[in-house]
Amino acid sequence: MGGSLAINQNLNRSMIRLAFIQFIRSGRYAGAGIRIGLFFLLAIGVISLFVGKQFAQQQQQGITDVVQFQQTDFPRQAALHHDDMGLLLYYLKFSVINQTRPLTALAIGQRDVNPSVQSVTIRGLEGQKYDADLTNPANLLLGNVDFSFVLVYLFPLLIIAFTYSIISDEKENGTWSIVAVQSRHLLGFIGQLFLLRLAVVMAVMLLIVALAIPVLGIPLDGVLGLFLGTSVGYILFWFSVCFWVASLQRASSTNAILLLGIWLVLLIVLPAGVNNYITARYPVPEAQATTLAQRKGYHEKWDTDKTATLEKFYAHYPQFRQVPVVDMPTDWRWYYAMQQLGDDESAGQAGELRQKLEQRERASRSIAQFMPTLHTQLQLGELARSGLGNQLRFMDYTSQFHEKMRLYSYPKIFTNAPVLAEKWTDFKVDTFTDEAPIHPLSVLGTFVLFIALFAGLGWFRFRQTIYHL
Amino acid sequence: MALRIERLIARQVWATAFKNRAFFGVLMGIGFLLVYAAVTGWVSFRQQNAMGRQYQQQARQEWLNNPDKHPHRMAHYGHFAFRPKAPLSVFDFGMESFLGNTVFLEAHKQNSVNFSEAGFSTGLLRFGEISLSMVLQLLLPLLLFFVGFGTVASDRETGTLKLLLSQGVSWQQLLVGKSLGLIAVMLILYGPVMLATGLLWFGLLWFGLQGGAVNADQTLRLLLLLGSYFLYLSLFCVIAVLVSARCRTAKTALVSLIGLWLMLTLVLPRASQALGSYLYPAPSKAKFLADIQADVLKEGDSHNPNDPHYKELKDSLLTAYGVDSVQKLPFNYSGFVMAEGEKISAQLYNDHFQRLLAIYDQQNRFSKTLAFVNPYLAIRNLSMALSGTDFASYVDFQQQAEQYRYDMAQKLNELQIELISNQKPGPTDKPHQIGKNHWQEIPDFTYQSPGVASVFRHETISLLAFIFWSGLLWVVAWRLTKTLTAL
Repeated sequence: MGGSLAINQNLNRSMIRLAFIQFIRSGRYAGAGIRIGLFFLLAIGVISLFVGKQFAQQQQQGITDVVQFQQTDFPRQAALHHDDMGLLLYYLKFSVINQTRPLTALAIGQRDVNPSVQSVTIRGLEGQKYDADLTNPANLLLGNVDFSFVLVYLFPLLIIAFTYSIISDEKENGTWSIVAVQSRHLLGFIGQLFLLRLAVVMAVMLLIVALAIPVLGIPLDGVLGLFLGTSVGYILFWFSVCFWVASLQRASSTNAILLLGIWLVLLIVLPAGVNNYITARYPVPEAQATTLAQRKGYHEKWDTDKTATLEKFYAHYPQFRQVPVVDMPTDWRWYYAMQQLGDDESAGQAGELRQKLEQRERASRSIAQFMPTLHTQLQLGELARSGLGNQLRFMDYTSQFHEKMRLYSYPKIFTNAPVLAEKWTDFKVDTFTDEAPIHPLSVLGTFVLFIALFAGLGWFRFRQTIYHL
Repeated sequence: MALRIERLIARQVWATAFKNRAFFGVLMGIGFLLVYAAVTGWVSFRQQNAMGRQYQQQARQEWLNNPDKHPHRMAHYGHFAFRPKAPLSVFDFGMESFLGNTVFLEAHKQNSVNFSEAGFSTGLLRFGEISLSMVLQLLLPLLLFFVGFGTVASDRETGTLKLLLSQGVSWQQLLVGKSLGLIAVMLILYGPVMLATGLLWFGLLWFGLQGGAVNADQTLRLLLLLGSYFLYLSLFCVIAVLVSARCRTAKTALVSLIGLWLMLTLVLPRASQALGSYLYPAPSKAKFLADIQADVLKEGDSHNPNDPHYKELKDSLLTAYGVDSVQKLPFNYSGFVMAEGEKISAQLYNDHFQRLLAIYDQQNRFSKTLAFVNPYLAIRNLSMALSGTDFASYVDFQQQAEQYRYDMAQKLNELQIELISNQKPGPTDKPHQIGKNHWQEIPDFTYQSPGVASVFRHETISLLAFIFWSGLLWVVAWRLTKTLTAL
């Protein structure tokens, strides 16, 4: 009894070793295909790191450019408008940067669409806040070949290619009955076949990330841990789907069509459908309404009562009522009060716009809970600080920054403080660091659920069909 | 009867496809997607254009409602240009979502075109959008591969192929027949999509939901779309049959076709674009604007009283009019200076903008040229261009908006030069201004969409690629008929 068990274990072990050799080498077509697939994925994974590196360098270049501009432009403008503080601050553009983390290079997300640098004068904010970046829309349309693309789109394809004929091939070659007769724990054997492939795929993913750490200078912290956790969860999810499909015991071609169909639905059809839905469900005409209201709110003050404008301004900022009126070339107090009212009178629309965007973010997050592909993409973006959430927080920060610059500038303008008394090179470009908390449970929960579901379904089905030869 | 055998074989392909129950499921699914695409295309078209029109009118009304003012105040009051969607954008969304649709037009400053859908997107947009064209470009080829992978390979596996050939059917007849059968299957989806597109397009134009009307230009665009998609999809039918004929087993044919599809639609487009933007980096916005400013400062800074260019201008004016100060000139001097400044800065901006566009062109060149390797890229670029949702159409909008901005600013400068006194008003004087009746001298902004000729200019490569593909297919099919075997 004990002896036969030992023989069986030996047999099982050698079968697995054979399975590995078969997986990597054997078969004129299949083996070569698998080696090519692995090599291709690894190559494109490495390319994705270079794409990420270039993205990071471009971001860095953008920051260098804006810092340099501010360093040369401020003293030049100050020299030019040395006797008119109000005019000088009309021109000066203060810049704020949305910090790019090394991890952002792995999941570029929306960072190529949205500007990472905002430059604002202390004039009306609503007319400047939404200024678009310079982009080539063809690049945006086709998308980046970053790590998240490789993981989300290409890894599942490799997993499908590795597993779609795992059992059906043996059946079609007539070798399955031999395997079934020789193995005592057939389900365990099937599990080992999957684990083997899982190990190879994981190794490729980990190798790419391991290369990314020195290439992109990614710190080894909890965020990277969650990023890896998400990636592992996503790969496990696809393996569980493939395991379930294998348990249906169909022909290789049917499996291939079925799995590719699932891939297509989860990565092309459903996400695009959800996007169409969200865009149509939450349209944002408030964007245009805000700009129009801002223009009207500011410009019509040129033709309305000056005192009324100033009164409204003092109602917003009572602290400036006390500042005595001094003689200056232009009535800047009135001018900036008008600008301020442009913002104040479009605040309603701007708030609605902000709310709509929040709703979009929330809606896609809740839908993504039920679609591991969307969830992965959004989560990687959130971890890499490249999603809409980050953009909204950056816009909020820009508003605070703008307010800070206003409150600093108003007293200087109203008293026409001497321009040259200020050290203009001391105004550094500000940086926004996104510190919004991320809960591990919300990141990984979806995966646990779906992996359990498909692996469970597969296991249940296999128990019924495993000896169908 | 001509082509009797080919038709027989074609009918067999058709019958096999419809014997498959899963095929009906997929057809239903795709049909549902098409309806969804048509509805969302229609809704977003209506939404954006209605909104654009409403705000365009509101902005115009607010412009006209301005009281008497100094013309330069009006130059800063400015106007808006809202980008309308082209009628065929209901069919192909193209780059729409990545393009801004609102630009504020004022003196001295070229503002960015803001509020692209992408900027307000959660990132889901990057998975793509469902449009009628997307179904035709992306999903239908895959469906054709699924239906077509076994057309010849299965016959080979079952031995039917040997029988057929020994009965005197030639390879040529076989391949033509199989391809025709697959094309017939393709038509049952292509037909309704094109019919729906035609109806949507006609509806939009006929009911005046879009500014345009059913005209020769729009009709030509639609017909070209019809033709190029037919060619594109037929190409995939023939590819499916050829690959099936080359492969030993149906499974190998299927896996090869799936691999090919992924390569053509997923990997090559992204990779070629990534390569383009890797090799030709574009400047950051800060650098772009700083460079323009540097050039303007070099050429002449109208805000600097000591600028040599304007000093020279002033001296020559004073000499020509024989006066000793600008206040004594018979026209408004500061208006004159602003007109000159606008001219210089607009010229420099356009120069830099053209250079930027040239860089983008270089970036896009790889994926454009790859149309000769990848029919997906050929149809994608051509379809966007014909639907008016490509980058060239967008640039055209930007340029029209900039032209409008320039004309508006210069018209107001002219009014200032002619009608505003050259003397600064004293502290108790009424400020200088002109009557509000002048505001309507500046017409509203209306976008004129470019004719279909511009498509031929911008998409020559894609069109040539189509000709190339048709030729190549013919040659390959002809060659294969000589070399294929039954086993």
